[in-house]
Amino acid sequence: MMELLARRAGLDKALAEFPDDVAAAVTQAAGVVQKIKAPADPRAEPWPPMRAGDGL
Amino acid sequence: MSVAAAAKAIAAKELSPVELTAALLARIERLDPKLNAFIRLDGEAAMAAARTAEAEVAAGRLRGPLHGVPVGIKDIIDVAGLPTTCHSKILADNVATSDAVCVAKLRGAGAIVLGKLSTHEFAIGGPSHDLPWPPARNPWNADHHPGGSSSGSGSGVAAGLFPMALGSDTGGSVRNPASCCGIVGLKPTYGLVSRRGVFPLSFTLDHIGPMTRTVADNALMLEVLAGHDAHDPGSVAVVKGHYASGLERDMRGLRVGFVRHFHEIDMPADPEVTAALEHVARTLQLEGAEIRDVHLPTLAEFAAVNRVILQSEAWAIHGPWLRERPGDYGQLARRRLMGGAFFSAGDYVQAQRRRLEMIAAVEEALRDVDVLLCASSMDPACRIDIPADIERTYPRQARTPFNVTGHPALAMMAGVSMTGLPLSVQFVGRNFAEATLFQVARGWERAAGTDKKHPAIV
Repeated sequence: MMELLARRAGLDKALAEFPDDVAAAVTQAAGVVQKIKAPADPRAEPWPPMRAGDGL
Repeated sequence: MSVAAAAKAIAAKELSPVELTAALLARIERLDPKLNAFIRLDGEAAMAAARTAEAEVAAGRLRGPLHGVPVGIKDIIDVAGLPTTCHSKILADNVATSDAVCVAKLRGAGAIVLGKLSTHEFAIGGPSHDLPWPPARNPWNADHHPGGSSSGSGSGVAAGLFPMALGSDTGGSVRNPASCCGIVGLKPTYGLVSRRGVFPLSFTLDHIGPMTRTVADNALMLEVLAGHDAHDPGSVAVVKGHYASGLERDMRGLRVGFVRHFHEIDMPADPEVTAALEHVARTLQLEGAEIRDVHLPTLAEFAAVNRVILQSEAWAIHGPWLRERPGDYGQLARRRLMGGAFFSAGDYVQAQRRRLEMIAAVEEALRDVDVLLCASSMDPACRIDIPADIERTYPRQARTPFNVTGHPALAMMAGVSMTGLPLSVQFVGRNFAEATLFQVARGWERAAGTDKKHPAIV
């Protein structure tokens, strides 16, 4: 599975030369997503991606 | 000497920019071999700029409030004619053709650029010992790390190699070294300071911020740096504030929200850090502020949202190099940057959707209080040569929430540990209300005398 994902991302060279680093990256990514609560409202939008005040 | 004191003395012709720059270059020559704050010192150009500044003073012309005062620049920020290496073999020969907007503004205000400062590789991979340049070290104890990724900026300001520096902050990279080195580091409101000419890590999380020894100097730097840039898509068109004007106002009437669950429940802090935070809260109360408990989403969730967004955006930048030249990265950067390849588009969108709810939660909290008080680092800086300790303590922090939400956040010294290393506190303000943030930070600094506490390195 890891190999498949890495090859899909074009990381063949990294997979050959640094397999432990690819494995570590896959493991780190896998543990993160489930910590995020999905917004309860299906209409909640991701836009704008960053909003700090209204400006002028 | 502080930025404000140096600028005042230079303007009054009591201090020569040439003598000040020469004295700092001599100090750098003596101390930097132990600290590795610099990747590239540009002493010749700095002395030439100092001579020009001196001639301008003699002619009665001051460029601005930083006239003749030296500054260090994190090496992901362009300085014309110097390489922007990002502390990486990948960009070792990447010579900048023009100044970043923030550097141009500092020069326009009269500052003298000393050179380029150490960083974690591409502002994410460090502290690392497998890069073309060694990692910066902590002047309070050179066996310990100085925080990062603006590591040379924090180390150099704390050691008195230069009175001010520029850093960048995507997951806490100005505030981490400020916390570890006992100085003042500000992540301004997202969009207040232009990022044009700065190598990106994550487009919607990147901020540029000032790093100084005092709150007043930080406010002075921000006055120069703030302002709309039509060519930076994240820049916001707001009227910039007079950040230094209210510094000495007292704290009466200010409401401070204490986010205790960050360091008590979400990520239990070192007992010395907990005690220092309680001491800060009590001190502000004695100064006239009202302290209330405030609740926000958990640190674990803020960190997850930050990581998905940061690594996904960073993968978009680094993917081509990671595919072709993975061996030219250090191991830490390689692992962290490759992580972005393994999130889906849906993961990224979900993180951005949740982010907007988190922004709303912080906005809601800041409707009832003027400023938030919370931990910055949960531990003092650990040794730089024990990777397991670095791996354990680096994520133990409460800085990423405010990269996710964009609110201004300032980290500074809260005390000194039994082992002689700085402890830290973080203040967070409403969007574009940096002046209030500085007022509270100055209130703590005035009461505790943190601006007088420096490492014993000489």
